[in-house]
Amino acid sequence: MHNVLIALVTLVASLLPTAALSQGKPAPDDAYLYFVWPQDGTVIKGGFWCRFGLRNMGVTHAGDDFSNAGHHHLLIDVDEPLDPNDAIPQDKKHLHFGGGQTEARIELPPGKHTLQLVLGDAKHYPFKPPVVSKKITVNIK
Amino acid sequence: MSDDNDKRTRGQVYPFRPGRNGSGPPDELPRRLAAILAADIAGYSRLMGHDEEGTHARIRRQRRELIEPTIAEHHGRLVKYTGDGFLAMFDSPVEAVRCAIVIQQTMIGRNTSLPLEQRILYRIGVNLGDVIVDTDDIYGEGVNIAARLEGIARPGDLYISGGVYEQIKNKLVCGYQSLGDRQVKNITDPVTVYRVLPDPAALVAARRSNKFIGAIISVGLLILGGVGGYFFIVKYYAPQASPPLATAAKVKAPEPAVTPSAPQLPSKPTEATAQIEIPKVIPTPPTTTEKAKTPEPAVTPSAPQLPPKPTEAPVTVTPQQAPATVTPGAPPSKPTEAPAQTETPKVSPAPPTPVPTLLTPEMIPIPGNSFSMGSSDDVSERPIHRVAIKPFAISKFPVTVREWSQCVAAKACSYVATGKDEAPVTNISWDDAQEFVRWLSQVSQKTFRLPSEAEWEYAARGGTQTKYWWGDQPQPDMANCKGCGGAYDPSQPLKIGSFKANPFGLYDMGGSVDQWVQDCWHKDYQGAPSDGSAWLDKTCVSRVIRSGSWRNDQSYVRPASRQGYDAAVRYPTHGFRVAAPP
Repeated sequence: MHNVLIALVTLVASLLPTAALSQGKPAPDDAYLYFVWPQDGTVIKGGFWCRFGLRNMGVTHAGDDFSNAGHHHLLIDVDEPLDPNDAIPQDKKHLHFGGGQTEARIELPPGKHTLQLVLGDAKHYPFKPPVVSKKITVNIK
Repeated sequence: MSDDNDKRTRGQVYPFRPGRNGSGPPDELPRRLAAILAADIAGYSRLMGHDEEGTHARIRRQRRELIEPTIAEHHGRLVKYTGDGFLAMFDSPVEAVRCAIVIQQTMIGRNTSLPLEQRILYRIGVNLGDVIVDTDDIYGEGVNIAARLEGIARPGDLYISGGVYEQIKNKLVCGYQSLGDRQVKNITDPVTVYRVLPDPAALVAARRSNKFIGAIISVGLLILGGVGGYFFIVKYYAPQASPPLATAAKVKAPEPAVTPSAPQLPSKPTEATAQIEIPKVIPTPPTTTEKAKTPEPAVTPSAPQLPPKPTEAPVTVTPQQAPATVTPGAPPSKPTEAPAQTETPKVSPAPPTPVPTLLTPEMIPIPGNSFSMGSSDDVSERPIHRVAIKPFAISKFPVTVREWSQCVAAKACSYVATGKDEAPVTNISWDDAQEFVRWLSQVSQKTFRLPSEAEWEYAARGGTQTKYWWGDQPQPDMANCKGCGGAYDPSQPLKIGSFKANPFGLYDMGGSVDQWVQDCWHKDYQGAPSDGSAWLDKTCVSRVIRSGSWRNDQSYVRPASRQGYDAAVRYPTHGFRVAAPP
């Protein structure tokens, strides 16, 4: 009976795929990661609050193994392609938000910079398929 | 800054215990303007009815891991817990709303893995009003309105009053959906109510969904009964409310195919169902004080308490630590073995000896002196400043897997490390490192701790003031880093001591593993202490890591290079070394 109920709910609400907990966490097809602000091409004076948007998945702490949830990583001026089979690097160009932050104060030197978000799972690995935002360019005055 | 409406001052919140009290009669209680946040759990009785103990445990855990730290991080004060909710106050409406958003978004994440009947959803109301501050409570219409807003909010939603909206509309990039004026119980004047959508793109959707949701919910209720209906609300909040655009609507199911094109907020200002305010996107102007803290912390520093997965480390405990031996519970019994063992962690491949000895890290005494800390190579390393260092001792190597595993065997360290015995331990959070030094101090009867950032840099420089300890130029085969020459394995750090020691006889001070120090992360050295002590704040989410790891390039090997990272979070390149009195 319970199963039937669940099935119904799933049908009606088109549940996000509830993934099994394992390596290489699967992400729902409709997961959507993006910048709430700034947007591509924004000209910014000085430091700014960068806000991360995520739909159809949840934000949680690094280390939390809930399905369909991850934490944000902000890639600044990163040109190397993302390795889907390795932990997202941690350095000055790969900022981690393992506390579940959904925004960050960013200060960059004047000039053009690229920003991109990557969602990481409990162990900082990209999801499968990777949940990444469009790479945007901002211009710091 | 230029915006004097900005309420996000960091001024002291009026102390709840007005101090020196005992005197002031009740009518002299201080009044003040504050942003009041009221929250409660939707369907609390239902949750309790379903699983009393489990629900209670989960709520308590949420309070500890989420509610309290999040309020603190947003410079608020928890006034009190009510039966199933809580009341908090903030100096700044922006911070109050931010705090509420963080709580709601984190709950989405936490709920996804739970069965429906266990999901906990908060309803939150925020109001700006004049309140009376008593010893452990606050009173006034301002509080009542916050509570009423909470009462009419949908589960998982955040409602704010018009007053709050006016203060934050240009500062927080959210969607604000006007719900019009509402008459609330026992309050004479109607209150303007806004629903906050953390994601402005959800606005258009939310607006349309208004019509839908009612119908859908009732259908849902019909079909599924209470649980189904409840679930819907959950569902609707979770993807941040985005029902089908009527056009694209094949309405395959009431659940929307979120059109990723939706995020362009101001795109369709046509409908008039409810006025929607879309704020100009203005990055919240930082107050000067605000700028100091770089990444806005959002959630609990105490995060990895329970979840830190025993699962994630496939329990590959290093085998040969005949465990059970070093019991932390019996400190007095151990002192003998600690001093006796004149350490050398790298020696002794320790065949499972019947008499297991405590392996304490080998320590190198460092003389006191003063030095120039920092460099001009990176903004975070400026300004260069003079720091005096008192004599201390620091471990010759980063803490190894073998040393770490003793702590695990003694059940004093929760993280079960993997890797070769002689490799530096990795995937250690700052919190984990604290467990280790606490345990080590206890069993060895000596005071072990993390070094301060200044001590670490002084030790790493080995008496030099050059860019690297060996000079100003990068040199191959000097450190375990990426592209640095010499032996290298991209997947793990080499065993300790694989490269030359610096002039102080310390190994792997640069490269190998990132190393936690005691200090809170500050984005540069403005205001740093000059006495070599750790630079601490009342609370800090991020702490400093030094050394760079085997996965970083040579610029991270510089003794002055520094980064910050969330103290509660584990990352595969992070380890540490310990310090002690000389």
